[in-house]
Amino acid sequence: MPKDHQAGEAGTVRRWLRPRTVAPFALVGAVGIIGLIAFSPGSAHASSTATPAPVQATANTATSSQASAYVSSNANPPHLGGQAPSKQLGLYYITLPRSYIAPGAALFAANCSTCHGPQALGGTKAPNLQGLGAGTVDFWVSTGRMPLANSSIQATRKPPRFNRLQTLEVSAWVQSLTPGEGVQIPVVNTSLGNLEQGNTLFTLNCAACHTITGAGDALMDGAYAPTLHLATPTQIVEAIRSGPGNMPRFGPGNITNTNARDIAAYVTKVLQHPTNAGGIGLGGIGPVGEGFVALLIGVGALMLVCFWIGDRA
Amino acid sequence: MIDESLRWVDDRLGIAKGGRTFLDKIFPDHWSFMLGEIALYSFVVLLGTGVFLSLYYVPSAHEIIYHGSYLPLRGQRVSEAYASTVGLSFDVRSGLLMRQAHHWAADIFVGAIAVHMARVFFTGAFRKPREFNWIVGVTMLILAIVNGFLGYSLPDDLVSGTGIRIAYSIIESVPLVGSYLAFFLFGGNYPGSGVIIPRFFIIHVLIVPLILLGLLGAHLGLLVKQKHTQFPGKSKSERNVVGSPMFPTFMAKTTGFLFMTTGVIFLLGGFVQINPIWQFGQYESYKISYAVQPDWYMGWLDGALRIMPSWEWVGWGHTIPLEVFLPAVIFPGIVFNIFYTWPFIESRHTKDLAYHNLLDRPRDRPKRTAAGAAMLGLLGTVFFASSTDVMANFFDLPLMGVLWFFRIAVIVVPIVSYFLAYQICNELRQAEGLGKRKRALAVTLTESGEYRTEESEPRPGDGAGVELEPVPVPAFIDVVPPELATGEGVRRVMR
Ligand code: HEC
Ligand code: HEC
Ligand code: HEM
Repeated sequence: MPKDHQAGEAGTVRRWLRPRTVAPFALVGAVGIIGLIAFSPGSAHASSTATPAPVQATANTATSSQASAYVSSNANPPHLGGQAPSKQLGLYYITLPRSYIAPGAALFAANCSTCHGPQALGGTKAPNLQGLGAGTVDFWVSTGRMPLANSSIQATRKPPRFNRLQTLEVSAWVQSLTPGEGVQIPVVNTSLGNLEQGNTLFTLNCAACHTITGAGDALMDGAYAPTLHLATPTQIVEAIRSGPGNMPRFGPGNITNTNARDIAAYVTKVLQHPTNAGGIGLGGIGPVGEGFVALLIGVGALMLVCFWIGDRA
Repeated sequence: MIDESLRWVDDRLGIAKGGRTFLDKIFPDHWSFMLGEIALYSFVVLLGTGVFLSLYYVPSAHEIIYHGSYLPLRGQRVSEAYASTVGLSFDVRSGLLMRQAHHWAADIFVGAIAVHMARVFFTGAFRKPREFNWIVGVTMLILAIVNGFLGYSLPDDLVSGTGIRIAYSIIESVPLVGSYLAFFLFGGNYPGSGVIIPRFFIIHVLIVPLILLGLLGAHLGLLVKQKHTQFPGKSKSERNVVGSPMFPTFMAKTTGFLFMTTGVIFLLGGFVQINPIWQFGQYESYKISYAVQPDWYMGWLDGALRIMPSWEWVGWGHTIPLEVFLPAVIFPGIVFNIFYTWPFIESRHTKDLAYHNLLDRPRDRPKRTAAGAAMLGLLGTVFFASSTDVMANFFDLPLMGVLWFFRIAVIVVPIVSYFLAYQICNELRQAEGLGKRKRALAVTLTESGEYRTEESEPRPGDGAGVELEPVPVPAFIDVVPPELATGEGVRRVMR
């Protein structure tokens, strides 16, 4: 076959040094260095991040003196900031002081009775609340689901409208209508929680809806399981016990108090602070996010490189 | 001295001639010819990182108690496969980087194959005499997808385990032989007798990569033998190839590209998390989680499964779960058969049996381009359908609504894409001035020192309002003498 090599040998070196030929090497140098820096997300990283930052201990006694101490400080989220867990278990339920009932009644009348009725017996707009217990009310109000602005939209998590004290007061009033019934407000000491146990229990009981990473997902029939990345230990136990909305209710026969504590610990310590060794976590939504990154960033970047070092005509 | 010893070697081995052909192989410079190289180099990365992984990975379903450094798992019963993969991530230096780079490389590998295939398809590079190479390519695509699925299953975590479970049901859904096949592959009823991990392992690290290597050799061998195609253009014809020679120009370019591909993959591996299996936990058949998707290249199958209504066929004492069989066996079967036979379908349709070394511009083949667009539309729709739940959650929509949207879209989108692409091709071809050559301006200097410009004579085919005839292949008249035809470093070689 005839070949017509047209350039002389002298031109060879110069031709090698065309910008288009050399440019890749220059970039490679840079990329290689950055790659090397990235080269050790191995063991060192792991041991530091595998132990998530401890969530502040939440424990308290039920004595009314301490409760009122908390009340006057009006601290927001959970409980009472007390120190030593007086109960070995790390999970127990409190009785709200009687003094909460009267202000609670006023709050309820002003904010809730239009829908739930003056005696919280429910009506066409909203369900009956009697017998649900302070814990249920606490869950719905502290997650901002209640008071609902407009009864046509489904209640979702929002910044709470009531502060901690007001929430407990409303809960106390609803509880006072049916003393002793329903779900009580738990106090959870997650530092006593067993994470391994929590992992197993969560995978078994909750992952089916909330997904294994707790990111939440759409369920059948228009419902959805919300993300668990915002819930506090108290709200988690309240959700387990009261079964909000489309979520099943888990009684103590199903999930013991110890189990509930472990789940709360696992959710707040592990799922809310995932060990994202290995770089940016893609939101726990799995291969969908990864696929987008691989195609758009990975293949996309390399195609741009092709476009750069190749002819475009 | 060196010369002499080289000659001595060559007198005995006689490889200089072959080597010469190889070094003189001409590579067209157009950027779209480098897409296949992304696939090639990510395969190289896969081999490298894969060898590293297999030094630490334990392919066994045997259960042990986890004692590694990831606290939430301590004391749990996990398989050795899972424990060793978590160990790779936390207790092996740079193990996590290697794992992630391996996984990103796999995702990019299949993506690059797809893009490369699209290039070959839309430019008609698969036409005679290159049908064989097209077939080899489709086979490599299938093997890459299969191997990705197998690899994804190796860590034995909850997400991939769910994938195996689905694969089992798919195999089982095949009429008559399904349950035997599944039984044979899994060594018993699901979840099998623990043979599945070691079996998948050996197929994943040895058998499929070997076949892939063989096919890759054939693919590139054919490429050298048949020489590259090229886009029509200045001094390019059916009978020559214009481009850079293997040595030195292309060698430098492609080595740079190897490093770039490696660089991008390792950057992703170092900075973006993929498949954090320690968050998922060990696979147990009774555990389930929502939001379980396969890797993207399996996504279109998963999507097809999701949007299929639950139909069943019962008769002659058998039940065929059409809801699984149709989307997961028949659908990919049809798709890959279309891929395999497309060169023959097309040549039968166009009655074009000639050799083709010059490529088509996609717009000049509106029907083919439209067919490709329809296929992309179909696959794209079922691909997106695999994230119905994520979408419903993200956009706050009812899941059933999203499902129905995709059921309708899967029929509408391909049809719309077809006609849209067809229309666009035709519009592009009719666009005023496109495809017409500019007339040259002849500049002259008069005696009084004045410059004058004059339009040159129209060249054949350039008459007013007359388009260049683009179908079937634009014919360029090689008016430039061969010595002048090429730019610096570019060579022109007869076929
Ligand atoms: C705009 C009307 C409206 C207002 C105001 C309102 N709610 Fe509700 N509430 C509802 C509706 C509707 C539901 C049912 C929501 C659902 O199931 O998603 C509900 C549910 C609840 C539940 C859960 C009932 C169950 O069966 O689990 C509690 C507890 C509750 N509300 C407490 C309150 C409290 C306390 C207030 C005042 C702070 C309040 N709500 C204000 C409409 C209202
Ligand atoms: C059948 C599915 C299902 C299961 C199983 C389930 N959940 Fe839920 N969960 C839901 C749904 C649905 C909601 C939303 C309720 C609403 O807003 O109406 C919810 C809400 C919650 C919330 C409130 C989140 C927030 O911040 O607003 C918590 C906490 C929670 N679940 C914890 C759990 C835990 C812990 C388990 C396991 C013991 C569990 N869930 C099991 C469906 C489920
Ligand atoms: C065709 C090319 C290949 C593809 C598409 C591919 C794909 C994959 C994928 C997606 C995984 C899952 C990784 C994870 O997220 O943990 C994986 C795992 C694995 N691959 Fe490959 N791979 C290929 C070639 C190879 C080769 C050639 C080897 C070995 C020589 C290998 C060895 C392994 C091992 C040991 C694992 C399990 C360890 C782990 O999961 O971390 N692979 N592969």
